[in-house]
Formats: sequence, C-alpha cells, structure tokens
Amino acid sequence: MSDLQYKYIGKPADRVDALEKVTGAAKYVGDYYLPDMLYARALRSELPHARIKHLDTRPALNVPGVIAVITSEDFIDHGRFGFPVKDHFALAFEKVRYVGQAIAAVAAETPEAALNGVKAIICELEPLPGVFDMDHALDPDAPQVGFEREDHKHPNFLDMSPVYKGDPDEVLKDCPVVLHEEYRTVHQEHSYLETEGALAIPTSDGGVTVYCNNQSPFITKGNLVAVLGLDPIKVRVIQPHVGGSFGGKDDLNYLTACQVAALALKAKRPVRMTFSREESMIASYKRDAMHMRITLGADKDGTLRACKAIHTLDSGAYSSQSPFTAWRASIHAMGAYRYDAVKVEVTSVYTNNGFSGAFRGFGNTEACFGIESAIDELAEKLGMDPIDFRLKNCLRVGDVTPHGQKLTESVGLVECLETVRKLSDWDRKRAEYARQTSQDTRCGIGVAVLFHGTSLGAEGVDCATNTIEILPDYSVACASGLTDYGQGPRTVYTLITAEELGISPERVRILLADTDTAIDSGPTVASRSTILAGNAMRVAAQTLARTLNFAAADMLKCEPQRVMRIGEAYVGPNEEPVSWEKVVDHARSMGLVLSAHGKWSAPEIHWDHHKGTGTPYFGYHFAAQVAEVQVDLRIGKTQVLNIWAAHDTGKVIFPQGALGQVYGGITQGLGYALMEEAIYADGYLQSVNFDTYLIPTSMDVPDMTARFVETNFSPGPYGAKNIAEPAMVPTAPAIVNAIYHATGKRIRVLPADLERVALGKSLHKRGSPVSCKVGLKVK
Amino acid sequence: MMKEMDYIRPNSIEEAVQILSDPGRRGKLLAGGTDLLVQKRVDPPDYDCFVDISRLSEIQQIRVSDGVFYLGAGVTHAVIAQDPLILKYVSFLAQACLSVGSPQIRNTGTLGGNVANAAACADSLPALVCLDAVAHLRSKRGERQMLVTELVKGPHETALETDELITHFTFLQPPPGVKTHFIKIGRRNAQSISRLSIAAMGRKDKNGNVDFIRICPGAATPRTMRFTEVETYLMGKQACEELYVDAGQRMAARMVEITGVRWSTEYKEVALKAITERVLREVLG
Repeated sequence: MSDLQYKYIGKPADRVDALEKVTGAAKYVGDYYLPDMLYARALRSELPHARIKHLDTRPALNVPGVIAVITSEDFIDHGRFGFPVKDHFALAFEKVRYVGQAIAAVAAETPEAALNGVKAIICELEPLPGVFDMDHALDPDAPQVGFEREDHKHPNFLDMSPVYKGDPDEVLKDCPVVLHEEYRTVHQEHSYLETEGALAIPTSDGGVTVYCNNQSPFITKGNLVAVLGLDPIKVRVIQPHVGGSFGGKDDLNYLTACQVAALALKAKRPVRMTFSREESMIASYKRDAMHMRITLGADKDGTLRACKAIHTLDSGAYSSQSPFTAWRASIHAMGAYRYDAVKVEVTSVYTNNGFSGAFRGFGNTEACFGIESAIDELAEKLGMDPIDFRLKNCLRVGDVTPHGQKLTESVGLVECLETVRKLSDWDRKRAEYARQTSQDTRCGIGVAVLFHGTSLGAEGVDCATNTIEILPDYSVACASGLTDYGQGPRTVYTLITAEELGISPERVRILLADTDTAIDSGPTVASRSTILAGNAMRVAAQTLARTLNFAAADMLKCEPQRVMRIGEAYVGPNEEPVSWEKVVDHARSMGLVLSAHGKWSAPEIHWDHHKGTGTPYFGYHFAAQVAEVQVDLRIGKTQVLNIWAAHDTGKVIFPQGALGQVYGGITQGLGYALMEEAIYADGYLQSVNFDTYLIPTSMDVPDMTARFVETNFSPGPYGAKNIAEPAMVPTAPAIVNAIYHATGKRIRVLPADLERVALGKSLHKRGSPVSCKVGLKVK
Repeated sequence: MMKEMDYIRPNSIEEAVQILSDPGRRGKLLAGGTDLLVQKRVDPPDYDCFVDISRLSEIQQIRVSDGVFYLGAGVTHAVIAQDPLILKYVSFLAQACLSVGSPQIRNTGTLGGNVANAAACADSLPALVCLDAVAHLRSKRGERQMLVTELVKGPHETALETDELITHFTFLQPPPGVKTHFIKIGRRNAQSISRLSIAAMGRKDKNGNVDFIRICPGAATPRTMRFTEVETYLMGKQACEELYVDAGQRMAARMVEITGVRWSTEYKEVALKAITERVLREVLG
C-alpha cells in the first residue's frame, strides 16, 4: 500500500503530550492541591472473608483533624455497584470478600490525621471460611462467596462462556494424534507508574466535580449519579493526565471516585485520595488466573481436526469484568486455526483471592498461553516444525472460523508467520539449536501466533462520537469520550484531524477527557480507540472540511470539487491561493458553523451465548512472534535474546506509537512469562511493592524487531485495526516454547521462573498476612 | 505538622560518634540510605535522628599500602566497581558491587551500609568474608576491630553497638597469582535481590594442584562464612572438573547441614552445586 496519498497518516510524528510529560509540566491527580483540600484514606479489610459485625465510625471524628467519615450507609442502596454484575458496594456492606476491600473512608486535614482516623474506627469482623482454590469454588460444601442466585446455581458460579462447533469427542475418536494437557496462568499486577487517585470538589449547585485517573470518565459519572442520587447535570468528571493503566483503572477507581465524592459532599470541601503503592497493590484487581484443560486432535499429515478447551477463571471476590474476560477467552481459546469441531467452555468463579478484572489482552493473554503451548506440543508429537504446522492450519481469507464467521478480508497471519520466520533466521536456528548437547547453557527458539478480536465485540453497543471546532485563534479543538491514559490516541486523533483538514498537526489540540465537553462513547478499553474514535474523528473532520471547502470555493469562485490544497492553502483555477485563516474567516462571514460532530458505529454483529456461535467481532488483529532464548539449565535462568514480532495491524496511523505499544507489550509479556506472579496465600497478597513483585527492568529486555503487516481493514480509519493489547498476548507462549526448544522441558504453569526451569516445579515461602497488614497502614 | 525526624550532618568521624553517644537522642547512621529509607516506610523507626555521614571524606578512601587494602566504609558501590586497585587485585569485589541494584542505588549505596544492614543476601559480604576483611569500628569509647564474618551475626543482626560506626575495612592484598571471582543468581538482571551467590579466591601451583583456596557462598546461610571444610578438602588436590563437581556437592551438603531443609533448599542445593563448579573453574582453571 502506498503512503504517498497521505501527508500525516503513517508518517513519523511526535506524541502530542510527550514534551509536557518529559518536562514534568503535565499534572496528575496527585499534583492537584486546592485551598481547604482534605486528604482521604480508606479503612480496608485485613481479612479475606468476614462478616461485618460492628462498625462504629464515631471515634474517628474525635481524632484531631478528621472532618468526615463515611460508610456504605452514606450511599443509595449502600452504593451497590458493578457491571455487568452488581455484586460490589462503594464501601463494604454486611460482608468483606477480600483483603484490601474498603469498609469506611475518612477525610482529614492531613494524610496523617486521615490515617489516625482510620485507625480509630471500631470495626469488628467475624471471620468466615474462604475459598482460595478456584478448582474447588463450586464444590457443594465450598464456603459461599457470592450472593444466592435466582437460578439456584452455586453462589460461587459467575458465568460460563461456550463456543460450540460439531462434536469434538466424535472427531477425536478418529484422530490418530491426540494431545491432552493442562496449563495454568497466574494473577498479574498491572504495575502502572501512577497509583489510583481521585479528587472531588463540591460545587455550589450541590453537585460534584471529580478529577480521576480512570480509563472511562463516563462510567465514573454514571456510578456517581447512581450511588449519590445526583442529577446527572450536576456531576462532572475530568480525566487529567494518567500514568498508565493497562486495563487496571476501571472498577477500583470508580469506587474511589464514589468515596471521595461522598466525603466531599459531606465535608463541603474538596477531598483527594491517592494510593500508596502498597495500598494500590493490595486493593486493586489483578489479571485473573486461569486453569486450562486442552485437548487437540490431528491427522497424521498435520491437519488439525478438533479442539476442546475447558477452562476455569478465578474472578476473585467480585465479578468486575470477568464475565467479559471469560467470554473473550472463550472466543480465542482454540487459537487462530481451522477445526472440524470445537467445544470451549470457560467458567468464571468467585474466590477470596483479591479480585480480578481487566488487564491488557483480557482473557486472550491467558488463553493464548494455553493454546499456543498445546499447539507447539502437538506439532512435536506430529514431528512437524512449529511454524509449518501453524501455517498448515491457520486462518486465511475465505475461511470460516470455528464460531461460524466467514473471514472476508484483512487476515494477515500467513504473512506474519513468514515475516518472523525470515527475520529470525528460524530454520537455521531450529536445526542448529536442536543439535546442542551442553548440560550447562543452551539456546532455543520458539513461536506463538495470535488472533485478537477488535473492540468490544458482542459484549455491547459499539459506537463513538468525536467533536471538532475551529477556535478564534485558528486552532482546532477536538474532544473524544475515548481517552488517553498513555496509549496515545490523542496523537492518533491529531494526525487524523490534520490529514482530513489539510492543516499542520500543531494547530490541533485534543482536549483532555471531560464529561462536560466530550460525548459518551463507551469505555476506553479493548484496544478500540483507534478504530472507533479514529473513525469518529475522521467523520467529524471530514464534515468540517466540507464546510471549509464550500467557503473556499466561494472565495476562489469555482465549483467546490475544483478546489485544491497546497500545504494549508486553498487553490482554485481562477484566483490567487487563499490561506487557511482567510478561508476560516470567510466561512464565518458566510454564517457557517465551524464545528462538527462525527459519529461512527461498528458493524452489527451477533453472538448466541447458549449455542456458542455467531460473529463475535467485526475484525481481528493477527500476529506472530518468535522468541530466542538462552537458558542456564543448572540454575534455571532464562535470558531472552531476541523477539521478532510481526503484527497485522491494518494501516498504521502513528508509527512510533504503534512501535511503542509493541515494545511495551513484549516487555509486559516477558514479565508474564518469566517472573510476574501476584501470589495470594489464604487470600493475602504476598508482594505488596516492587521490591518483591518483580517486573522486567531494561536489563532484561531483549533486542526487539517489529514489523507491521498492513492488510487493509475496510471498517477501520484508513484501514487501521488495533495494537495495544495484541502486542503482549503472544510473547509469553513464544518464550516458553523457546525454553522447551532449549531444554526439552515443557513449562505448563507460568511464570517460568528459576525453580520451574531448573526443577520443574515452583517453590514458595510459607504465606503470611504480614505484608498486607503492614502495607495497609503505611504512612 | 508533627516533626518526623531530626537530621544532623557531622563534619567528622569524631563529631559523628559524639552525636551517636548523646543520651538525649537516638541517632541512626545514614550513608546511602538505600536500605534505611525503604525500611522506614514499613518498620516504625527506633531512632529519632539521622546522622548523615554520606559526605565524610574521611571514610571515602581506597588505598593499598604495604600489601594492606584500606577501604573506607563510605565508599559507594559505583566507586568500588570502577576502582583500578580493586579491579587489579580483588576484582570479585568489583563484580559484587556492580551486581548491586541499579546505577542509582550503586551511586549512593555504600560498602559500610551494605555490611551494617547485614542482609543475608548482601552482595558485598561473600567477597569481604573471603578476604577475611576486618571492620574497623569507632565510638566515643574508642576503636575496635572485628572480622566481617563475625561482625555480621545473622540476618539484619550485627555486633555493632548503637553508638558505633564502621570507619573502614582492611584486608591483605591476595598473594601473587590468586584469582578471584563472584557469581550471583537473581530473578532478573538488575535491581535483583540475590537468590544465591558465591565468591572464591584460588590459585594452583605449577603441578596444577590447589595451593590457595577460599570460598564463601552468599544468601545460603544465616551468617555469611567461608566453608573452610570444603577449602581444606580442596587444598593440595589436582584442579580438574571432577574436583569442582565434588566440591559443589560438598558445598551443598554443608549448606544443608547448617540451615536444615527450608522451603528453598531444593533449589539452592542444585544451584549452589552449579555456581560452585563455575566459580572454581574461574579461579582454578
């Protein structure tokens, strides 16, 4: 595809917020100080499961400096909260289900006074037996974590997401080669640089303005309206700069916003709560852990025939996004391959292991580790090269997926596989490394592929609206309900606006998200901003461009279609060129409106949750990654030497942004593969800060080579798809497959840490509640 | 706002020990602060005053005279890692200091602080213990000396009195021909707490027999100490692969003898065997 047709799309560009972030000018929630502002702190549960026997907050009000205290009684319906399942409360009501759950909150003149207030609250908890093993959550005698269900299913049952095609048990009987294995992934901490925070300011009309480092300010607003009983017009949510999220700034931040808003309304003063790292790690939701049971069947010639994937997802104490996570996991559980028959069932359950929610990849990161490990194992059973085996069975244009969806365009998987095969010198290294005999250190090379549905899929209504307006100084201001918490969509919107209006990107300013100026466009999740709001931005800019073109034609005395552009100037066949400013002035004098809305709705899709068939997503990102590792066999240390990544992103709009996502995704995937594990021992998180919760440093990051396979995706803006999540999904299985190639040892439980690689099993210190108990009271 | 902590920056060792001995305050020495300031977050401090010795030039010297190394306690890991004398004669100490934390931590963390903090996994300890390094302590009551291996009694436990500071370490320059080496196992390549480490010094004679050997594992035993039984076994034997393997088994067995079987023992046994073989290959090969 030629880039000549575009001036800004796909061309090198600066991130619009780079300079202010690098210089420290960008303000985050914790940087806001207002006159009379109070500091808030939550009393959090030190027990994983308990009944609240007695809660008396009055002693806190006797602590010097404490101004207000709230409990669930301060909210409508106790602040009942949650989507898609309303199983949570703004502050704990009757029960606590996890260590770190907020029970009450205090606002005080200083952080110290707030903590003293928290310590003064009398809270008697009656311990309840807990569920800590997802595989026993549905046992008849398992302690009850969730509410009673109207359908009389087990109270710890959350949801089950199926995909069905034919009868795999029948097909498996005919398969000469069958693999059955189990795989496990563990909870992962998002590790965003900025911890959770919100600042609430009571307004003179009895409402509240909240600054919150959330992902989706309209969801915050919706929750505030619901739990505080305020008129929506009196609730405004502003998202300042946000220091990273990775899916982690949903529910807990919405709860935090509700707490500070209630405190601010009660105290009639601004209230801010920002989390310490310990509080953030203990209270925040994690990536779910998954137990996967996979059966694959193939013919001797390497034709994949059947897949069964029966998975359990540990949602922890609350639903959060787990039913959606489980659904996405189910859609991707069989991998990007053709089968005669498929049966997938992903069951999510309640436990008392913290709580699980959205995290980059959203179920696919977990499922991809399982299926791409199993595919590798099956390739070996068949005596086939892992890339050859994948090429033989992977999805191509024209195929019908196991869900029943015909793929009509934009399936670049074969090209991705061929690209990484060539870049990595795969065939030579596979052969060379297979001949190693050292008992000390060996190298290996492994591959994993991915498909990842774009946007929400059949999870919900999928549309976005952006606005655009020319300001008196001839700059262009745009607003979007899909927000920038570090992923880079503000730069994407800028480039699209500049492209469509034919103006310099410096003129364009994308406003920070504000519910009073932007239009609700659903949640900023699921790598959907570029496609959804990118399209909406394009529609808005095109509408405005038509208006200006009309004005320019009037000035240039020609038909609108005869108007050309040279740089920003408008050129016609008859008159001298006129500048952008002149055209804007002229349009104003003609009485034209120099603002526009652009709305874009995703193509309609449908999923049958009972039959497990349909069109789950309107498009898919495809990718292949190859990892090269060096493994110290004796001490179990894996050094990743190289990752080659080829991603079918459709048209790349902002190349540095896309590369940044790939590099960051690989790094986060490397952590997931080798070292990250948020361990819950009897419900207590064992690592509550970065001294013991290890993520990769720059010294652990390998050389990374990324290529984009830009297949055209007609619904996307300029043919663009998504990148944020898919970048990390295939990294862990590629690394673990490479470890197998090096060592001959198959790691089926993440992470592949020193002990698992050296001994084939993990070793853990006896669990302790101490870190959590101390961490929740850190100054 | 309530006062959280006093801070004093003495201009000399003399002044520092004076402050430490002041019965009116509970002073705590602050050098790099890389351990202290982190611990303070979670452990309520049992002191009310930082005594900042990070700028005392008296404790920041490295020199060798008459075959004796003198190493100020206030020398940072970064300085040791690049010091020409250290690199020439006792390079394993430079290796150990280079394995500490990150550049920021190495630029501020000190050798004296690493010893005084006395973590079982302190990266500098195995090399210092191998060298039979002596810590020189000062208080208002006077001076005394102690072997590092005795000063550090166990995890976060030292023989230091609260009014004492470490001024410097001394050790003999290794005999000619002695090679040194340090290996550390961490869960990642930087900012990593040692899972296990090992330091060794060794030399073989013209017949290929071991005629000098010292070996000390780190993060293996509560007190960091040379495994002298293994050293004795190795002395005089022909340096060869079989001997290294044998030594690895003896090191692992000795470790388990001392610690008993703990949650991590199964891993540490195989890992200690591996790094023993490797460190011996480096110093005797």
